[in-house]
Amino acid sequence: MSSNEDLKDTNTEARFEFKKKERSSFQAEKGLTEETIRVISEDKGEPEWMLKRRLRALEHFQEMPMPTDWPGQPDLSEVDVDEIVPYIRPDVETRESVDDWTDLPDDIKDTFDKLGIPEAEKNALSGVGAQYESEVVYQNMQEQWEEKGVIFCNMDEAVREHEDLVREHFMTKCVPPSDNKFAALHGAIWSGGSFVYVPEDTVVEMPVQAYFRMNSEGMGQFEHTLIIAEEGSEVHYIEGCSAPKYSAFNLHSGGVEVFVGEDAHVQYSTVQNWSKNTYNLNTKRALVEADGRMEWISGSMGSKATMLYPASILKGRGASDNHITIAFAGEGQNIDTGAKVYHNAPETKSTIESKSISKDGGRTNYRGLVHIADGASDSSTAVECDALMFDNESTSDTMPYMEINESKVDVAHEATVGKIGDEDIFYLQSRGLDDDDAKQMIVSGFIEPLTEELPIEYAVELNRLVELEMEGSLG
Amino acid sequence: MSAQVPADLSEATVHQIAERRDEPDWLRETRLKALKAMDRLEMPDVINTPGRRWTDLDQLDFGELADPLNQSDDTERVTDEGVEVLSFTEAMVEYPELLEENFGSVIDPETNYLTALSVALFTTGTFVYVPEGVDAEDVTIRTDMNSRSLFSHTLVVTEDSSSVTILERIDTGDEAVEGERYYSNLVEVDAGENSYVQYGSLQTLDRDTYNVTLKRGDADVYATIDWIEGNLGSRLTRSDIETELNGDSSESQIVGAFFAHEDQHFDVNARVWHEAEHTTADLVTRGVLDDTARSVYEGVQDVGRDAWDTNSYQRENTLMLSDDSEADASPKLIINNHDTEASHSATVGQVDQEDLLYLTSRSISERDARNMLVEGFFVPVFEEIAVDELREDLQSRIRARLRE
Repeated sequence: MSSNEDLKDTNTEARFEFKKKERSSFQAEKGLTEETIRVISEDKGEPEWMLKRRLRALEHFQEMPMPTDWPGQPDLSEVDVDEIVPYIRPDVETRESVDDWTDLPDDIKDTFDKLGIPEAEKNALSGVGAQYESEVVYQNMQEQWEEKGVIFCNMDEAVREHEDLVREHFMTKCVPPSDNKFAALHGAIWSGGSFVYVPEDTVVEMPVQAYFRMNSEGMGQFEHTLIIAEEGSEVHYIEGCSAPKYSAFNLHSGGVEVFVGEDAHVQYSTVQNWSKNTYNLNTKRALVEADGRMEWISGSMGSKATMLYPASILKGRGASDNHITIAFAGEGQNIDTGAKVYHNAPETKSTIESKSISKDGGRTNYRGLVHIADGASDSSTAVECDALMFDNESTSDTMPYMEINESKVDVAHEATVGKIGDEDIFYLQSRGLDDDDAKQMIVSGFIEPLTEELPIEYAVELNRLVELEMEGSLG
Repeated sequence: MSAQVPADLSEATVHQIAERRDEPDWLRETRLKALKAMDRLEMPDVINTPGRRWTDLDQLDFGELADPLNQSDDTERVTDEGVEVLSFTEAMVEYPELLEENFGSVIDPETNYLTALSVALFTTGTFVYVPEGVDAEDVTIRTDMNSRSLFSHTLVVTEDSSSVTILERIDTGDEAVEGERYYSNLVEVDAGENSYVQYGSLQTLDRDTYNVTLKRGDADVYATIDWIEGNLGSRLTRSDIETELNGDSSESQIVGAFFAHEDQHFDVNARVWHEAEHTTADLVTRGVLDDTARSVYEGVQDVGRDAWDTNSYQRENTLMLSDDSEADASPKLIINNHDTEASHSATVGQVDQEDLLYLTSRSISERDARNMLVEGFFVPVFEEIAVDELREDLQSRIRARLRE
């Protein structure tokens, strides 16, 4: 996208809400069985060890109870894995993803055109991956980075081409399938996603981006993202996602694992705008070595219910973490999100800045955990949560947990809740703005700390999405 | 239930307690109902985060801790003009209807396993009744615990436009039986329209005592309930202070101070429910931890759907003096009405190194400097305590502990 003006012209509603005829070359049976997993694995030509990991994850999934006893958590009673189509391979000509948009079937290409992905690739990104249903259909990395040994490919390809790296890092140390029921589900039927590898001391200056699109009704999407940033390297990964609205529910249960090497810096940004029948139950975690820095920036706009708490484990001295999250819940939505940080080494630092907006009966919750281990001396953490509420039907909760095992620390948590200031609106109205524009302006100001951190294209997109939410014209 | 059942816990025990105290049928029935409910009731909620349970009350071994038929009631009650401060046995004679009407109206005996246990077995009871328009200042309830277990129940009823300040002292008596002990205390405050209740409590039980208290107030229109809770003693304390703001323009302040050392474990909770319009709440807690002590704090500000124009504030600060101590905190906001101004903050840290350096550079020994800073840390809480006696008492107890 060449300028902000271009983006303003784009009708965001049309960009996200359109549907395509379902097309697939292979569609798994509904539900989750060992047989399905064997079929997926074989279909992908996976090595034996990956099949074994999938089957072990399935065992965990079958043993673990649904998370239902958290105070105030979203209702998951509708989530019935037996009703989900766990795997859909779109009928793209070639088994491998393509590296030219024109090689994609017209309707898939059209989808990504409408989402503005190829435009963004030209202008602002080092590489793009695009996933349609369960498979990555497009993948391209600019040559200059490839020459330096940077790898950006889809996960299925990574399992074949970079087997050692994947075998060492895939759902082992960072997100083991035993972590929670949906991590286990993910481990069993994951498909697609991105693999990013940045060698030592390599700085990828422009962001790389992956875009995930769910198009079919009643499907589950389970992409896996694995980012390995070696010592002294830097990379910014952006993930976008969307799905049109159907009457049946969809399940998105992705997994993100980030390895931040010594003195490395990874930024992971995402604006999720799943359709409002999607259950978004994700597990995202980073392991951060000494002096490494992890930044999580996320906007949660869509979905019927989201349970997502990106976590950083600060395991090396001087490691740091920044979380910036924003949640917007409108009618019928329950966005339960927050952050987890484990300070497991001395001189580690974290900041969490969380903003939420609830409107028309929407429900937002900040649920966070800060753990400071014994021995993590001279660590500090600051958590700030602000909630803005529009009306009396909405609900906004803040549930932070702090576990402090070390005295030489500096821990602070602050939260505020308030309605939109009548005085602010009055002031803006007296300057000639109508009520809606005044509210819109206040919200834009409220979420500014997040938009400031995003690349301009995303900031504009986020603002545009918020604007549409405010008009009540989405979903 | 995985907790150990008291050896003597049976209907016969409950009948025996009721008989000894010559209780009316309704109270006996209430006790029996609570006893029966214990089969299905759970321990009070405790905070769970991945992989841990912050306070494990299931470890309480009532087989060892409870001796319901041998409770000693060493409670001293001091009253002020116009206020009735009576033991339950006296109140059953003088205010039978008021007692029956209000007992269990603020705390449901079936709230959890421990409240039911307490209602079934209590032998120490205090009834405070403040008639309309009466202002009273010096009500004291002083309990010395000497038996293996002591179950206590306090009921405070204030009528319209009255006010009362109540000071409660809980200590271990000089003739306490050897070994581990269990103290349980339920306090119900029913505050009538435009009345003001200030309830201060200082707990200094010895290190062999397990202490569980639940204090809950129900504030009517324009009523104010202020709680002050000082916890210094016990091996383990589970303390819940709660106010329901059920009347328009009602208010509540919950001020807490704790100082835990050695291997003490305190689980302290402050909760407020805004259920009416124009209500205000302020929760202020400060705690200090030394040695291997551990604190768990939960603060809840719950704003109901109809609670228009709510103001709700919460602050919690913990000072850690030792690397082996642990401070866990969870200040929660639950907001269902947008016409709310609410905030909470929590901090955990150590004694400020610059302050320490400043004081030691003024030739104050490091130990003295640290003690001064710890005392200073409690000042914002002391400032909130309007009752001189309680404040001075708490202050001198903290000072004494620092000298240890």
